[in-house]
Amino acid sequence: MSVVERRSGPDFASALAHVATRRILVFSPTIHFRLSPGDRALVAPGDSVSTGTPIAERTPDAESVDAGRLDIEAASGKNGGAARAGRPTQDAGTSALWREGRLEAGEILPEKRSQMATKVGPWPSGTARHERRRPPEPGKWWVGGGERRGKSGKNRPVPRVGGTLLFEKQGRWRAAAGEHHQIVESPVAGIVREARNSVEVTIEAAGAAIPGAIAAGEPSRGYLDVPRLTDGELWASALDVGRAGAIVVAGSRISAQAISRARAMSIRGLIAGSVGQGELRDLEASELRQKASLAPSVPFGLIALDGHQRRPIATPVLALLAALSGREVAIVTDPPLLIFDVSEVPLPELPPDWIRVRSGIHAGREGRLLDTAGLYRFRSGVHLEAAIVRFVDETDTTILPFADLERFIF
Amino acid sequence: MTSQPRAFFTLDLGSATTSAALVGHVGGRWRLIAHTSAPSSLDVEGVLVSLLSRVELADPELLAELAGGERPIVAALAATWPRLEARTTPQRRIAVLAGSRRQRRRLEEAALRAGWLVSGGSADEMDLVALSRMVLSTRTSAVLLGSDRSPAGDERRHLPDLAALAAAAKQLRPELTVILAGGAAAFESTFAGATDTGPGPELSSDPPRELTAVVSEAAVRATEATDPVVAAQPEASAPPEDAEPGAEVTTWVADVPAPDDKLEGQSKATPDAPPVADLAAAPVLAAARDSAVFPSEVDRGVSPQILLAPDAGAGEPAGASLQQVLEGLRALPNDSRLGIARSIGSLAYVLDRTVEVVEIGLQGGLRARSEPIGGGHSAVVSSHACFADASFSPADPSEEVIDSVFAWSTTALDRHRLTDRLHDLRFMPWGDADGDGAVFRLAAAKAACSRLVDATPELTAHPMPDLMVAAGGIFASIPPSVVALALADLGRRPGVGQLVCDQARLLGPLGAVEDEAERRRLLANLADDILIPLGCLVLPAGVKSGRTAGKLRLQGTDPISEIELHPGAIQVIDLSPGRTARADFEFRDTVRLGTRGHHFSVDVGGGLCGLLVDLRDIPLRMSDRAESRRAALDAWQRGMWPGVDE
Repeated sequence: MSVVERRSGPDFASALAHVATRRILVFSPTIHFRLSPGDRALVAPGDSVSTGTPIAERTPDAESVDAGRLDIEAASGKNGGAARAGRPTQDAGTSALWREGRLEAGEILPEKRSQMATKVGPWPSGTARHERRRPPEPGKWWVGGGERRGKSGKNRPVPRVGGTLLFEKQGRWRAAAGEHHQIVESPVAGIVREARNSVEVTIEAAGAAIPGAIAAGEPSRGYLDVPRLTDGELWASALDVGRAGAIVVAGSRISAQAISRARAMSIRGLIAGSVGQGELRDLEASELRQKASLAPSVPFGLIALDGHQRRPIATPVLALLAALSGREVAIVTDPPLLIFDVSEVPLPELPPDWIRVRSGIHAGREGRLLDTAGLYRFRSGVHLEAAIVRFVDETDTTILPFADLERFIF
Repeated sequence: MTSQPRAFFTLDLGSATTSAALVGHVGGRWRLIAHTSAPSSLDVEGVLVSLLSRVELADPELLAELAGGERPIVAALAATWPRLEARTTPQRRIAVLAGSRRQRRRLEEAALRAGWLVSGGSADEMDLVALSRMVLSTRTSAVLLGSDRSPAGDERRHLPDLAALAAAAKQLRPELTVILAGGAAAFESTFAGATDTGPGPELSSDPPRELTAVVSEAAVRATEATDPVVAAQPEASAPPEDAEPGAEVTTWVADVPAPDDKLEGQSKATPDAPPVADLAAAPVLAAARDSAVFPSEVDRGVSPQILLAPDAGAGEPAGASLQQVLEGLRALPNDSRLGIARSIGSLAYVLDRTVEVVEIGLQGGLRARSEPIGGGHSAVVSSHACFADASFSPADPSEEVIDSVFAWSTTALDRHRLTDRLHDLRFMPWGDADGDGAVFRLAAAKAACSRLVDATPELTAHPMPDLMVAAGGIFASIPPSVVALALADLGRRPGVGQLVCDQARLLGPLGAVEDEAERRRLLANLADDILIPLGCLVLPAGVKSGRTAGKLRLQGTDPISEIELHPGAIQVIDLSPGRTARADFEFRDTVRLGTRGHHFSVDVGGGLCGLLVDLRDIPLRMSDRAESRRAALDAWQRGMWPGVDE
């Protein structure tokens, strides 16, 4: 087919307007960390957080616990005499481990905390003391003893539980609390926009991000490793211990074997064009097993840039990833983003008519949009608005539905 | 001075597809001039300009006439002509709390029929932490706590805990809407503290129009006799004055003018009626302007309120009253799905026929039925149900959803691959629409339809409607003959009915016209333009297997056709759109086609597909073996879709 290429003028602009746009970069994205009953936020709205700052504390084994009559305890001085001492009663643990409410704002805290903490963390510095003296209310942090769970403390150490208050009924409070706790660290720097115990922490991240279609696992951080791909793929054997701590670009698709291997090698994350639903299910099951074992593990995240069916990573995105190679990046799962805090990003130069096929039999191929072909009869007798496209390294043109195409914007 | 424009746009802003149509006043009546569809990711203004450019290219004089005699400037017309808009309400999740499993199921069913995504839990099945997790999830927009009007012991003992839990959740998440249904309304005082913490910012600054702070049960009862669709938007229209307090809830009787001034469709012109143009133009344009106000309110969430609602057994059928309240809470003011239900009611009145619609979209599906009743068919009875699960590609498909797509798929796919394709269809609803992709989309659409039909047994129990309408973007991209086959596969009731498709997707936007009389006038004008005739379906029940089932003699065609009927087959007889014929059936055995007998003579209309005589079983019986089932489906499909192998 002989087609005159038109790369300017109103007609060409109208043809381009038919193509869906895909934004490669978003700036200052808002990210969410969902919390459950028993979890608390360790930050407050307006706080600045940096990479590794504890932002929340999860209680993975939270159970419903009778917290008792908290107001009466406060008045009578029970539960460690916290009320008389001016401390909030629900924060008044007696064990040295439970330091809740005993730290002063200026106290220096250890900078690094393990991923799996077995004690209640401190309030973040700068939290107003009167905040800690709030009366009991739903979502407020509460610490109590094992006797509250109906366990006798006779001849054995009394387990202590911590969690958040659920509700009050006839003066008695119930809490979602557990013995084990996990600290969630922020994988990115930014400003806290919202922080609600048991609900969520929202952060406006500093920097830019590449949006993905699917994310799984946990938010993680590492240096970006862009290995040489073979036919757009990375062999699972290339995931060795030398890549520990890296977020690896794995090519068009992630296999279950690659995920298992990457986790075993302490790799922090994988980036690919697509990931199957079966692999996601395997990863979820593996994470649940890991959590059930209570063994500490490094967070592992996974991000697919296009969807579930196999497609190679788009060349502009791959070029951007290559430019970021070796730098610190973070995978965030809600929404699916690959975040980096590089102030100056070397953006690849793209011709305005550069398009990529995002679905159909040519999915993943790239080329140039030449013209529109109007309403066209495609296979199976389906009529769709069509575009004339020339793929890279081809001389012939191809007619494709506009709906299968995408173009990139920064 | 410019003259009054004699045209307006209708816009159906779906989640996957934006459908735009130009309706103009030509030759003394409203006509559909042109329509187009585009992925919803594209700019609406661009879509309208493109539509007008095509009209200008095809008939510049017509465009000039519609523009009031001025020299048309396409961009200016696209920006200034009024728009009648309807849009799909995004999916929203409701957490259902009940004291017992029995009650939970009843509440869940009402919520599902109202179009909500549902997470349910009862105190006898789940612990309080799990229930709290469900309620506090940021994906949950509302909480429904319900019990019987007089709760039995099994649920009564749990209600105080559940009420306290919901109140605490409301305190933590002020943006939550809480609905207390039935006996749970007695715990309204529990929420006094929760609402004291302050309503959500949008409530304090801009209270929603359709909901007051607390809707009392009495107020809900008062709306029971009204159109559920109208009741979903109480500000849109007052209840009919002649509504009886004891009337059924999901069935409603529209207000009807005297039979002699009843507006009639193409078949029933009223000579004394004033010209439709004079009556219709100004109000329709006003309605179009009004609908343009909605987008500013579109992004509002569910209003943060405490609502009191009837219990899950109230109404006829049971749960209808609660469904009505929940639907009003979920839907946007100009929700296209409810608009279709409203338009179907008007259409049934105008055409004096029973009309049923099946609409499948990305965010859910709708099944609605309207039937003229009473002396002179002066009233219309309507009922409908929306289901989020009837999406052709649900957000989080369950194993049952995967199974249903498998059951209707004609291509051999492994389970993982099918799941991946279904997920990708949600990411890119317009992608891969030809070849294999079209076949897969048809399977997904049929699976969604079958879920919708299974979920509405009360509508399936009615006889076959006179007019069966297929609506939704997924049907627009599939050849008409295959859409007709899908309707024949899924709506298996003995009878004769006309199959049509709302190709231009006008039914949703026309439902945004608030005035019932105006909507009827518009539909009387537009019915022939907007409903693309697919064909006439003849579906006899009780056809026994054998070499022949009988004979069909089609009169009105030239030459007169005489066709042998084969049991287990679907036979297509060419009858072009606009043509009518008399079909005389002579069956070998006694069959049921409305009544029981051997000989039937019915009037049939043509369509793009022609006359379909479906001699397959009712219900459709297919092998349990996947390969045999696929082969049977493929054989039927191949007969109706000649280009499927291209």
